[in-house]
Amino acid sequence: MARLELNSVGKAFGAVRCADDLSLVVEPGEIVAVFGPSGSGKTVLLRMIAGMFEPDDGDILVGGRSIVGAPPERRGIGMAFQNFALFPHMSAQDNIASGLRAKAKGGELTSRVTSISRLLKIEHVLGHMPRELSNGQKQRTALARALIGNPEVLLLDDPLRNVDAKLRYEMRLELPSLLRRSSAAVLYVTQDYREAMAIADRIAVLIEGRLVQVARPEEIYARPASVAVARLFGDPSINLAEVTPHTKQADLTAEIAGTKVRLDPVDQQAADHGPCWLGVRPDDLVVTRTASEDAIPARIVAITPMHERAVLLLRFADGSEWLAALPPDSPMASADDGVFVRFAPEAALLFDRATGLRVGLPHRRQAA
Amino acid sequence: MDHSSLAGRIFRGVALALVLVFFMFPIVWILMMSFQTNEQILRIPPHILFEPTLSNYQALISGQLRTTAGNLEIPFMRNLMNSFVLSSAAVLLALLLGVPAAYAFARFKFRLGESIAFTLLSFRFAPPLLVLLPLSLYYQQLGLSDTYFGIVWVYQLIALPLILWIVRGYFEDISPDIEHAYRLAGHSWREAFTRIAVPLAGPGIAAAGLLSFIFCWNNFVFALILASADKQPVTVGALAFVTASGIQYGQIAAAIVLSVTPTLLLALYAQRYLVEGLSLGAVKG
Amino acid sequence: MLPYLLSLPALLVCIAILVPFVTAAVYSLQRYRLNLPYLRGFIGVDNYIDFLSDPAFWNTLRISLVYTALTVVLELLLGLGIALLLRRPTRFHNAVSIVLLLPLMTAPAIAALMWKLMTNPSFGILSYLVSLLGVHDFKWASDPSSALFTVVLVDVWVYTPFIMILLLAGLRSLPRQPFEAAALDGVPASFVFFRITLPMLAPYIITASLFRLLDSIQQFDIIYAMTQGGPGDRLMVFQVQAYLEFFQYTNVGRSAALLMILWLITNILSNIFIKNWLRLRARAHGHG
Repeated sequence: MARLELNSVGKAFGAVRCADDLSLVVEPGEIVAVFGPSGSGKTVLLRMIAGMFEPDDGDILVGGRSIVGAPPERRGIGMAFQNFALFPHMSAQDNIASGLRAKAKGGELTSRVTSISRLLKIEHVLGHMPRELSNGQKQRTALARALIGNPEVLLLDDPLRNVDAKLRYEMRLELPSLLRRSSAAVLYVTQDYREAMAIADRIAVLIEGRLVQVARPEEIYARPASVAVARLFGDPSINLAEVTPHTKQADLTAEIAGTKVRLDPVDQQAADHGPCWLGVRPDDLVVTRTASEDAIPARIVAITPMHERAVLLLRFADGSEWLAALPPDSPMASADDGVFVRFAPEAALLFDRATGLRVGLPHRRQAA
Repeated sequence: MDHSSLAGRIFRGVALALVLVFFMFPIVWILMMSFQTNEQILRIPPHILFEPTLSNYQALISGQLRTTAGNLEIPFMRNLMNSFVLSSAAVLLALLLGVPAAYAFARFKFRLGESIAFTLLSFRFAPPLLVLLPLSLYYQQLGLSDTYFGIVWVYQLIALPLILWIVRGYFEDISPDIEHAYRLAGHSWREAFTRIAVPLAGPGIAAAGLLSFIFCWNNFVFALILASADKQPVTVGALAFVTASGIQYGQIAAAIVLSVTPTLLLALYAQRYLVEGLSLGAVKG
Repeated sequence: MLPYLLSLPALLVCIAILVPFVTAAVYSLQRYRLNLPYLRGFIGVDNYIDFLSDPAFWNTLRISLVYTALTVVLELLLGLGIALLLRRPTRFHNAVSIVLLLPLMTAPAIAALMWKLMTNPSFGILSYLVSLLGVHDFKWASDPSSALFTVVLVDVWVYTPFIMILLLAGLRSLPRQPFEAAALDGVPASFVFFRITLPMLAPYIITASLFRLLDSIQQFDIIYAMTQGGPGDRLMVFQVQAYLEFFQYTNVGRSAALLMILWLITNILSNIFIKNWLRLRARAHGHG
């Protein structure tokens, strides 16, 4: 099998740069999720690899050979589309087989269609036309069509976007093993960070046409490269405060709403860094009724049950508002209660106020 | 509207009846005339009940018109044939030229394409004589005047804008991803065009073709200027026939019936697409 | 490369239209008579200037405009009325609307012949019917005083269904909520019609009328088949006049100039038309 390589790929539509110096390697058998807000250039990236349009600069290689300029049908790429893109005038069977007609005939064709549809649990609807299929069945048919030709590179454009929540949950569990069987290099586009974390070996975070971080899911969550990345991962999203950290008797501290909090000494170099964003995930906050020196006094504004947690909206003395996510077994407070908020020093992330990049990371590339 | 008053319902009923009488009466009346002898037609007051005769149709089909002044050759069946040949050929040519172009205009936004599409559209509304009169002089020099090909070629003025704009709309309604998917499955663009785009736009192509046929068939001025007697379609032929046959009103009525029957049948068959075709694809029925 | 290749044939047709068009524009600036070829020469805009002092031209312009105004207004009113009658999509209404399309599907030249048979002074059923009403010797198209009325009648018969079917499609595509809300509020029917139905239908009305306006000002088939522009010059509209200038008087330059003027009028109208038409088209294709 072959690896997929992007070398400094760039693409602009008029004045809009959809892809800016994108470099990425996907090994065979690896699943890389391309994650970013809508309009960040994810779909454009997939379409360049698939050959629907060509990059302005840079190169795209599959198995070491450039595929730029090659027609889509000769790139060895399988793709599943967000809107499924099934051929409406062909049965599910013919849709799936279309990917193989050029390569296999007769008995082999039928047996491979049968085996892939068994794998995807759509054997019973093979004779149906696309309009007779449920969204879930359409999506599985589209996946089968993309997988059947054993492509070297598999592109999945937000395949779970248009299916209902239950199915999305099931597919999140099912997809990784399914995709790994094919040993293709998989690029998986999604707008849902949880999906990316559940499915991918690595996540490539794309913001405004640039790859801002490529790393394993837990790494991105724990050590986001920038404020923007930190905000994209996590629901409710990360709490931020403007701080200027300084060292006091070997302790690194910062002031939030009038309270001095201790920070992780690993971030020592932040001491002379100047203005920063301090970020703490809602899950890392501890809310108590007892005051202590480094606990920030707050008032509960609202309590919202969310998933299996309760989310508290807190207001500090300076008027700034944070969110805290509490485990279900924590003693429930009620709105308007006065409480105290603490977090472990290593839970705090520091980002440069001007560039948004995380303090303490080696600066691989300066933001423009 | 379901709870309108009785007076309102009666008014609507009467109005609808009047409308139907006004628009249907001429067709019904001419149909009746075509089964009457001249003597029956000339009776005053006219009779609603009469003994129908097929003599008018027999005369037209045999091409022999017996009058008091002797036998008259009528080439009406040839006109009918010409209409079939000219309209079918024109539609086939227009489909051949128009469908690929419509596909190009729908899929690739390029300036030349837009210019062609809009030039053809705007000349759909230009006076036809403006193009036809100079063209008739060119045709004489090129030896194209009074040839089937020459007439089929100018019929493109009618058929091509229709096919181009209607079929273009159908192609635009097909998600490009469907074609991309087919190509990624290992097929060339030509296969994607013939196996995906064309079948999916099929109803639109058929509708545009049928409508083009109707409009070519109904055209009068193009053939009036460019065709001589043996190439003339029924529209021009019927007029010549009126002049030649003088007072053979039964045969004239039968000729009219024969001239309009094909288009009326086609129109009934394609009625689902008529609105779309009449508005060049801007309004869906 | 590919798109250009695919549109090459259509481009050829385009050229085949544009060349004669430019030729006509050039002819219109020439003294060019087929029977006097040696007189041919460039005379600038003299053909056009001659029209200014030519009563025949003013007659043509006047008749064309009157014909257009009469037909479009009558067809619009009638077409809108019928569309409103057929608005509810019952099986009967649908059948009626299809049957009403038949006049539109007959060739206009043939339709003129049908009406000629029906208005024949000696046996025509319509002549007979008006005589029952006490009007004897009504000469229809052969009398200068009733010729315009007669051809307008034929035009209305042929083309009203066009307006009707477009407005019917428009009416049926209107959203229901405003009408349901008005019905709940007990708003009077006249208010609903003038303040809700008409404004919402406006794009369809404008497109349909402009469509007809463009066709009507160029009407040739019906008038030529019915009276060849007569009696006298009573129905000498633009294209009939240009046809006769060319074939009867073999005055190519004058004929071309006349058509150029007509083209100028239609071109202005068609630009307005295309704008409205594109808007409707975008709506039909779900991105408007």
